[in-house]
Amino acid sequence: MRIAIRHTLSLTPPPDTNNLVFQLLLTPGSGATQKLERWSVEAPGTSNAARFVDAFGNLVHFVNQMRPDGPLAITASGIVETFDRNGVLGKPGGEPVPALFLRATTLTRVPVTLYGKFRSTREDRIATLHALMARVGEVLGGSEAGQQQSQDGQSQSQTSGAPKADAALLAHGFVGAARALDIPARYVSGYLFGADEKPAPHAWAEAYDPGLGWIGFDPSLQLCPTERHVRLSVGLDALSTTPVRAVPDGEGVKTLEVRVEAA
Amino acid sequence: MLGRTAQNLFWLSRYVERAENMARLLEVGYKMSLTSRREGGEAEHLVSMMQAAEVDEAFEKTGRVADVDTVAHFMVFDEENPSSVKSCLMAARTNARSVRTAITSDMWQSLNAAWLEFSQIKPRDVRGARLLGLLQWVRQRSHEFRGALLGTILRNDGFAFSQAGNFVERADNTARILDMKYFVLLPRADLVGGDLDIQQWTLILRAASAHRSYRHVYHDRYKARNIADFLILKPEMPRSLIFCAGMIRDTLGTLADLYGQRLVCHDVVDDLCAMIENTSMEEIFAHGLHEFLTEFIERNNRVTECLSESYNFY
Amino acid sequence: MGDATPFDEMHNPDGTVREPYRALAQWIEAQPENGLSLMQADAEGIFRKLGITFAVYGSDEGTEKLIPFDVIPRIISAAEWRKLSRGIEQRVRALNAFLHDIYHRQEILKAGRVPAKLILNNAAFCPDMMGVDPARGVYSHIIGVDIVRVGPDEFYVLEDNLRTPSGVSYMLEDREAMMQLAPDLFQRIKVAPVETYPENLRRTLESVAPANVTGTPSIAVLTPGIYNSAYFEHSFLADQMGAQLCEGQDLFVDGGKVYMRTTTGPERVDVIYRRIDDDFLDPLTFRPDSMLGVPGLFNAYRAGNVTLVNAPGTGIADDKAVYTYVPAIIEFYLGEKAILSNVPTYNCTDDDQRAWVLENIGDLVVKEVHGSGGYGMLVGPTSTKAQQAEFKKKIEARPDNYIVQPTLALSTCPTYVNAGIAPRHVDLRPYVLVGDEIRITPGGLTRVALKKGSLVVNSSQGGGTKDTWVLED
Repeated sequence: MRIAIRHTLSLTPPPDTNNLVFQLLLTPGSGATQKLERWSVEAPGTSNAARFVDAFGNLVHFVNQMRPDGPLAITASGIVETFDRNGVLGKPGGEPVPALFLRATTLTRVPVTLYGKFRSTREDRIATLHALMARVGEVLGGSEAGQQQSQDGQSQSQTSGAPKADAALLAHGFVGAARALDIPARYVSGYLFGADEKPAPHAWAEAYDPGLGWIGFDPSLQLCPTERHVRLSVGLDALSTTPVRAVPDGEGVKTLEVRVEAA
Repeated sequence: MLGRTAQNLFWLSRYVERAENMARLLEVGYKMSLTSRREGGEAEHLVSMMQAAEVDEAFEKTGRVADVDTVAHFMVFDEENPSSVKSCLMAARTNARSVRTAITSDMWQSLNAAWLEFSQIKPRDVRGARLLGLLQWVRQRSHEFRGALLGTILRNDGFAFSQAGNFVERADNTARILDMKYFVLLPRADLVGGDLDIQQWTLILRAASAHRSYRHVYHDRYKARNIADFLILKPEMPRSLIFCAGMIRDTLGTLADLYGQRLVCHDVVDDLCAMIENTSMEEIFAHGLHEFLTEFIERNNRVTECLSESYNFY
Repeated sequence: MGDATPFDEMHNPDGTVREPYRALAQWIEAQPENGLSLMQADAEGIFRKLGITFAVYGSDEGTEKLIPFDVIPRIISAAEWRKLSRGIEQRVRALNAFLHDIYHRQEILKAGRVPAKLILNNAAFCPDMMGVDPARGVYSHIIGVDIVRVGPDEFYVLEDNLRTPSGVSYMLEDREAMMQLAPDLFQRIKVAPVETYPENLRRTLESVAPANVTGTPSIAVLTPGIYNSAYFEHSFLADQMGAQLCEGQDLFVDGGKVYMRTTTGPERVDVIYRRIDDDFLDPLTFRPDSMLGVPGLFNAYRAGNVTLVNAPGTGIADDKAVYTYVPAIIEFYLGEKAILSNVPTYNCTDDDQRAWVLENIGDLVVKEVHGSGGYGMLVGPTSTKAQQAEFKKKIEARPDNYIVQPTLALSTCPTYVNAGIAPRHVDLRPYVLVGDEIRITPGGLTRVALKKGSLVVNSSQGGGTKDTWVLED
């Protein structure tokens, strides 16, 4: 399906900032599950921006503004065509080695109770990952403790414009547990079409199978990503997929609006 | 040249000049306090000296009673006093270290040796004759540094920035000394001047190292008008306002030539010079001496501000 | 290796003088009775004058500490040096290939020659470096290899320093002092020059400028500032090679490129020899609280607009836990056996090895994996029972945090001490530059443990330095 997206953020540097430096991870890639029809990122200074691909394969706009005056508006918008592939992304060329996504990070730290029972499983990897997705949903989905922890995770990661806490928490849980089982897993930040509530950034996970390649798992919806999922960026965790990161950060970044509609 | 290097060179020279000026002021204040015959006169001289150095408010905050020992300690050793000799030497050395590659080894060695010697001194040992000895030592060290600078540094933009710092500081110092005592310099019906006036005039001249050269220039007894004229308008007097302002203008002119560009600081230094060129003491008195000095100090400060802007200090 | 008499670099076991030291021995012999003591006093004078150069500044006081200098040079024969330099070159080639591999396809991990977990979860591994292609494929351009000698033909590499090795200014100043003290000695003995280092450093840095730079690249040395203990070295090197010495605040990023703030406006910077640790380099990518770095610097690097020397993330190749795999790394990338040996190292995570280590701790050296400068270290033979017990507990609690090696009988060199000339233990740090070619300065920094019997040569622990002479054929 064709999905139109418009993501608006604001960035407020401290007063008297001499040079505001910021980077934007706001450009989706094309692959097996989606094709970028058109896309634009608008922010003061982007005409002079450097563009490069980061360590995880995301396109980054690297921008700066001398003596910025008040809040800056940042808008990413465009149309993405999506395909339902049951979450299977395969092994696209040019991506970093999957083993990179075995690295443990602070945000993906998980208790052994989450994954312990899969350590000696005889199931194949794909069955294990589905079972793990169910397990993560059971243990972390909606619990009080989970909410608490996710808020901590938020403040620590300094992310803004980030997905709802529960989706991020579940994705981190899944990623951390998979890595503990020696399965490369990465964090995905993206958009979800047709969400019940107001549209917001969404988060899920992808794990690596030597046969099929990368496969998506959405533990907050308990399914593999469908054509309603639009991938924006991937990384080790929410920190490395932060859509807007700035120095000096001042009042930080706020997501003003996310619109995800059929195009 | 990095903007920060230019800034460090500017302040390096300013702080060395300031250390010298502080030592000279304290010496004058100290000597005057010794000869005061009035009750409370000792403290009065010391306090007015600190006013000229613009550190009187900082001293009040220490809560100490002004006497020779407390004031001397405050002016020489107190790190809380940003203009104390110690603070100035420390700041000069810190600036010098940051631009270690832009200054000559003679400059560095002169400054470093001064600092190492100074840091060996125990404050409680410094009293009376020792205090005067120390203050003379500070002046000599400042002269030595200036000598090393003039004798060894390349005559490039770095030299210009350091000269600018030297003369901006000196102009400020002379203007403040005058402003502190401007009332004893005003024309009055009583032309003779009593003992008290003579003492004040002596203080002014000594604070500017001008008590002997005054005689050379005027061949006359101390007169208020001459003293003001000497320290403001005499171009041959190396601490006069007109001399310092001229040096600042020439120095900035060198920068304009080197970089091929006139900037806002050049207009500002022209404003500064315009105040003292083509004028006379009569005009200045008519305009108001205090108002004149206040305006001069402000324009001199503008030079520093604009220099920072024009050449990317930060 | 442990209990043998240490190798004396000057004398054969029968007391005769070894060939490389013959001319020096004659010269010492010919000195008047108090000749060396006068020379030592002169050296003090020279260093006091250069004094500034070796100052170790505290943050508040002007206390200037000189690192002791010994007037008797350490001599390495041309043949010995040929072997050493071949071994060093092999090592830095392999380690740069290793860095390129683990930040790209990680073939060595796939082949199982180095455990993947050891690299991927290592704090010194920098994920942000994945996929970066530095100019000429060089990651670590400036390297110091710590080498010890235990026999006529036995050299061991103690440590590779691939992050920001320091001390090269001491090597240069030691030579400068020695030539002032004993010019006649240099007439008799042909010593390979070290003065070429600053020029070679400049050439190396120019050769790794980003591909899009035309004309002479603009080079800056990035220092944490005047309160850093190596500040002198930073300003010395900048001065010697004609580069601008910058602090973080002097640089800024605009349009993805790096500039310095000069009195006449922004000026582009192409190559940065940075003496700031990875963590503090760029608050946008690394530690957000860093005040020393330049916001956006890493992205400018990633975008290919500036070269960082050394590259971030090189620490993974000199990690103490990775050290034991260096011979395997050399074989994997170069298909050759290592010319220089590693010191045998015990792995405490292995139950058998750990048990053996705990039993014999009194004969061993224990090092913390991430420690440096001689801190967090136990030298078995000179330690107390209480210290040994403490380290046993530490090892049991965190076996992966320590590596354990036999106590090496470091070679000794005659050294001028209060009692006259006496043997003292030494090590050697040659400096290597990697750019368009590999340039190894003949010699390096010899550190000497001035305390009798001591094996710790670190200057923070009372070590001194010697001029190091490589003889020319």
